[in-house]
Amino acid sequence: MFPKLDPLLHSELRLAVMSILAGVDEADFTYLKKQTGATSGNLSVQIDKLTAAGYITVEKGFKGKMPRTVCRITPTGQEAFRGYVEALQEYLSASK
Amino acid sequence: MTAQQSLQIITETFNKSRKGILRNSAKYFMLWGALLTVTSLVIYLLWHFTGRPQWNFLWFAMPVIGYPVAALMGKYDVNVPQNEVSKMLSGVWRVFGTFAITLSAIAICLVPMNVSLIIVIIMGLAECMSGVLLKNWPIIICGFLLGVCGAVVAMLVKSEAQLLIFTLGGVLLLITGFIMQLQNK
Repeated sequence: MFPKLDPLLHSELRLAVMSILAGVDEADFTYLKKQTGATSGNLSVQIDKLTAAGYITVEKGFKGKMPRTVCRITPTGQEAFRGYVEALQEYLSASK
Repeated sequence: MTAQQSLQIITETFNKSRKGILRNSAKYFMLWGALLTVTSLVIYLLWHFTGRPQWNFLWFAMPVIGYPVAALMGKYDVNVPQNEVSKMLSGVWRVFGTFAITLSAIAICLVPMNVSLIIVIIMGLAECMSGVLLKNWPIIICGFLLGVCGAVVAMLVKSEAQLLIFTLGGVLLLITGFIMQLQNK
């Protein structure tokens, strides 16, 4: 019996965002947009979903006069991401 | 989305981000490498042609120029985050800088000592540590050789010729920066 893949992470853009945030302390919206190649609107929607699930936190502030939105992965998010990767590995090892 | 595609997204995104961060760190190696090369050469030439060791005070121009330039470069990097490796690299070289400046000040003001010997050893160590963090054998070996050979040269060679060890150290930092950029293209 395979473990169920977290449906929230099983989406291309949300998974990409989580993969970036898992490797850094924090990343701002512009960086995430550049790295994922997503549109601002789509990225905002996916970030909202991850925030609502408690996987990431979003902090809005300013850097000088420019608005800046900073995202960070939470311990819940790290746990979910780890679980997702482990589940993927089980799927892949079973298919070999 | 299949399990394989998911894993591919994770690996690709993670690697792309990691490479971008390390490419960004490479700029700082190049900045300090260029500054060290130029400063050591200028002091060497001034000392050599005037015979005045007082030109060594120009070393303090290096942090005075380097830190504001690094801060200015950091302003433009506002969107590039830090990862564990870039944070540790930054930490290693900050510790090196603190030791180098403090010991130089002590040697000038309080207790005369062979500063070149001490600094070249800790510089080689910092370079070695950078190589370990970057998992790059050429950088590890260069750092080791800089520390060990530099220490021997610092003991054998006197006066202004010692400065050329730091020119070599500066070139090594520049090479490290180039390697980091090439590794993370």
